[in-house]
Amino acid sequence: MAAVRATEIMVAAASRELRDGEVVVVGIGLPLMACFLAKRTHAPRLISLSEIGVINSDAKDTPVGVADPRNFYRATCRSSFLDIMGLNLHRGIVDVGVLGALEADGFGNINTTLIKDEEGNIRYWNGSAGGNDTASLAKRVILIVRHDKRKLPKTLAHLTSPGFVQGRSREQLSLRGGGPSRLITDKAVIGFDPQTHQATLVSVHPEIELADVVESTGFELKIPGDVKVTALPTPEDLRLLREELDPNDLYLGRRKARS
Amino acid sequence: MANDANKVKTVAEVVQTIPDGAHIALGGFAINRCNIVVSHELIRQQKKDLTLSQGVVGLDTDLLVGAGLVKRCIMGGGSLDRFGPVHCINRARETQPGWSHDYSSLTICLKYLAGALGISFIPTKCLMSSEVLDRLEQFAPDDIRKMKCPFTGEEYLLLKALTPDICFVHVQVADREGNSQISGARWENEEQAKSGKRLVVVTEELVPTEYIQRNPERTIIPGHRVEAIIHQPFGAHPSACFDYYDYDADHLRLYVNHSKKKETFPDYVNKYILGTKDHWEYLDLVGGLKQMNEIRAEKLLGY
Repeated sequence: MAAVRATEIMVAAASRELRDGEVVVVGIGLPLMACFLAKRTHAPRLISLSEIGVINSDAKDTPVGVADPRNFYRATCRSSFLDIMGLNLHRGIVDVGVLGALEADGFGNINTTLIKDEEGNIRYWNGSAGGNDTASLAKRVILIVRHDKRKLPKTLAHLTSPGFVQGRSREQLSLRGGGPSRLITDKAVIGFDPQTHQATLVSVHPEIELADVVESTGFELKIPGDVKVTALPTPEDLRLLREELDPNDLYLGRRKARS
Repeated sequence: MANDANKVKTVAEVVQTIPDGAHIALGGFAINRCNIVVSHELIRQQKKDLTLSQGVVGLDTDLLVGAGLVKRCIMGGGSLDRFGPVHCINRARETQPGWSHDYSSLTICLKYLAGALGISFIPTKCLMSSEVLDRLEQFAPDDIRKMKCPFTGEEYLLLKALTPDICFVHVQVADREGNSQISGARWENEEQAKSGKRLVVVTEELVPTEYIQRNPERTIIPGHRVEAIIHQPFGAHPSACFDYYDYDADHLRLYVNHSKKKETFPDYVNKYILGTKDHWEYLDLVGGLKQMNEIRAEKLLGY
């Protein structure tokens, strides 16, 4: 079997954060992979919602995006933004939102709108779409972002979707949802301190040095005494990801020979 | 609207009635059921200074922006999924601060819902404490307010209703009265379509009313709301139309290869839009019957 990819560790770690029976709003890419993986392993009764108007997509072929009709396959309900993002998410019944981002900061705020280079030139990307709605309203939010100084900065180029802005509570921010619970990267799993809301290391992925995690994080990361090692994906997780969920490596990236 | 009026029109006839400066809402989402027929004709007729609104912008709006027809975009976000960003829209956002009014998917939908309900604003708990809101306060100060609920005291953001001058939506099936049925997910199609002053549907198939009557619960837009029906098979190409055809991946890649640079985009417009007189010629140019058969949906899959 090929070596375990960092993306596979991220997806498996994110999937383990999802519990059976929970109602989950899921963005495309690694979030969708994590949700599908959870449903096929420990959370068969998880309810997945896609903003475009799909409940419980059971995609046979990997969708290239939310709008891909592959994402409509074998759904139990096909409806609308108003149903998914309004009558479910805004109503307050969504347990978890799973989101990717261009950048995340140390209070779990994310940017999906634009990036700035060192000279200050701006390049636009997608914008919010359902991201702000999900981050504002889900009971908890799981973020999946690649780990480097640029993608985990002290200050975002644009705060598209709020976590605990400037360390303030969700009530102070006039937000109903519970905010970010996990930031999962390709090096570590990060949580948020219940009092200060500051990013706090939970576990470091196998073969990653703690110093490397600290070095490649742009914001201040609290390191508690009991940092664990992230569990690797199980052989069944890897089989599902490689053979069924993303056989063409659309989201998980190039496969590497075992080192 | 009188029952004897012939509502079936050509896209050229409909677009001729749209003045420069109009606010147009398009019903596409990224690479799904985009109003390609309408965008192409707006470009052929060189309409100017348009305001475009859409929940999640897609290929239909990117085309219009790239061709220079749009002075303002009101949007919730968007991309061409894995095929790439909406390069033309993003270039406009990069070069003209405030050109786009950026919301989120749900808040755009709520703005249309308010328009469709005939109310002037709607409260929401989205966008609070974000830079999305900061920017709207800067660039669209007349379109948002904050207010405490008079009953509970909770703080809400108030969104001004959207009431486009004309809305277009691409549907799978419609009859000659405009009774329109959509299959698959339908994002903000219904709220958007019913929010505007005029509504035109573009349909893959024109069917007898008796066919509509078999499954009337699938009628998302009833005929009495529809001003005109444009009948155009493969009218959303190269985006997907659930149960009818998949997106045309090769053509989407070709599009992005042109759209990613300002200098190469006119080549696309000149060849595929200005170089064709209508959608039939365009379909011939992009591979004709053989290619349309390649992307035709499989019965069990719907794509």
